[in-house]
Amino acid sequence: MARYDLSAEIKKNEKLSDDVFLMTILAPEIARAARPGQFCMLSVNGNLRSDPLLRRPLSIFDSGDSGDISFLYKVTGRGTDILSQKKEGDSLDIIGPLGRGFRLDHSGPRILAGGGMGVAPLHFLAKRLEGAFSVILGAKTKGEILPVVKTFEASAERLLITTEDGSLGEKGLVTAMLEKELCLSKKNVLIHTCGPWPMMRAVHDLTVKFGTRCEASLEAGMACGIGACLGCAVKKTSGGYLHVCKDGPVTDSTEIDWEI
Amino acid sequence: MKKTTRVKMPQDQDISPDMSVDVGGLKLKNPVLLASGTCGYGVEIGDLIDLSALGGIVVKGLSLKPRQGNPPPRIAETPCGLLNSIGLENIGIEAFIRDKLPWLRKINTRVIVNILGNSQEEYASLARRIDGTDGIDAIEVNISCPNVLAGGLAIGADPNAAAGVTRAVKAATGLPVIVKLSPNVTDIVEIARAVTAAGADAISLINTPLGMAIDIDKRRPALGNVVGGLSGPAIKPIALRMVWQVAGAIDVPIIGIGGISSASDALEFLMAGASAIEVGTATLVKPSVAIDIIAGVRDYMKKNNFLRIDDLPIPRD
Repeated sequence: MARYDLSAEIKKNEKLSDDVFLMTILAPEIARAARPGQFCMLSVNGNLRSDPLLRRPLSIFDSGDSGDISFLYKVTGRGTDILSQKKEGDSLDIIGPLGRGFRLDHSGPRILAGGGMGVAPLHFLAKRLEGAFSVILGAKTKGEILPVVKTFEASAERLLITTEDGSLGEKGLVTAMLEKELCLSKKNVLIHTCGPWPMMRAVHDLTVKFGTRCEASLEAGMACGIGACLGCAVKKTSGGYLHVCKDGPVTDSTEIDWEI
Repeated sequence: MKKTTRVKMPQDQDISPDMSVDVGGLKLKNPVLLASGTCGYGVEIGDLIDLSALGGIVVKGLSLKPRQGNPPPRIAETPCGLLNSIGLENIGIEAFIRDKLPWLRKINTRVIVNILGNSQEEYASLARRIDGTDGIDAIEVNISCPNVLAGGLAIGADPNAAAGVTRAVKAATGLPVIVKLSPNVTDIVEIARAVTAAGADAISLINTPLGMAIDIDKRRPALGNVVGGLSGPAIKPIALRMVWQVAGAIDVPIIGIGGISSASDALEFLMAGASAIEVGTATLVKPSVAIDIIAGVRDYMKKNNFLRIDDLPIPRD
């Protein structure tokens, strides 16, 4: 699979809410090769400054024929803070597309269940999916997901929103809403999930209970993103570790030992 | 102490400097290698950079049997640095020779295999296995990883144990033997002298200094293994000091490692007395950095009229 190490131009870096940004980069090679669920390594500092040192892995929010590729991110530390200050016309080093994406060949119904910034890879998936699917989006508060709700409305057959504080949609957790959906859904449903670890663990538990399949897009601290450093290890149920950057980020949820 | 005579390039002539070096019998087209643990087995990075432009590649440390490595989290970022506790996860020597080496053989660059074991006999077995294998040009003996309980650092911190492993590996192979030293010792020169006396053809230094970070939100150590090895620009002054000290004390060639991220970093190590350098953590951040370093060193030599890499070290007397 082709992947590229480029210096690319930032076209937009929009502030969507207090701490959520959408960055669009012109990188036609990466945009053409990218598949839903894959990610890129973004250099926040340029090459000459060393603090913070590492690139940031961000999952692909959107990519298309225009040659643009975009990333939805929340400012959580120094790296994303520096990223948020980038302006249109700035250049940025980017490696991608990386990792294993979502399954696109499933013929049955699907449910996309995302929490917080976990909605980012699901957004790209929703744009590429053919046929009907449902989406459940969850967040702590509406500011986190309100900016992306509109784009899901266009593609999803059913869109369900939940926030922990009740500021948007139904008050509660993604998993409570998913359980209701699973009670209603037909057989052979495939769930695609991305979000905080406890949420994905709970989603996995539900899929075990309902006897259905689930793909989880994992997150882990990583240094290289290309399988060289082996830093992004996650424990497997079959023993040993898988590496999120090359064995994932999207993995069958039964492969993961969720009890950490 | 190595003495050098500077050879100046004739003026008014555009002569490209000779970048080749001989590191204890290992002949390299240029002095820039990728450091073990930061470039996988080559194939992981081979589509992003032209490996044949490099002096060589030191593959991920290999043991007799596969190793699973340490529990996550395995990495933590620190100011200008990276803490890791990978724990020497590797596929084992047989799988490397069977699955990875055929691909590496097609690349026109030197392949150095980094080996690790829990005993002298394990190191010797690895060296014997490698000795008859086509496509491997040298052995780097890892007696210095801070992330394993047995072997590793325990050997690297004891001059007798370090010398014993060196002797055992030398006896088991005709390939050049490079011994990689740990900075986690009181006197690096003492260890360097011990492995040199035991027959090391070259010394590489440094491996990672031992460090720690705490996640104050989770109120627990940031690494699953609690402690880990620090790498990146943060450790460059320590590494450079140790290369300088060892270069002043022993005669075998030195490969400098530690926070090298640019041509100027590499030149500092070459001037401190290193014959070659390994680029490690910088490759994780920018895969092509070693290629830039080669070009930068060449440019510096041309600009300053140096004909050979051996002309770069600073004369000490």
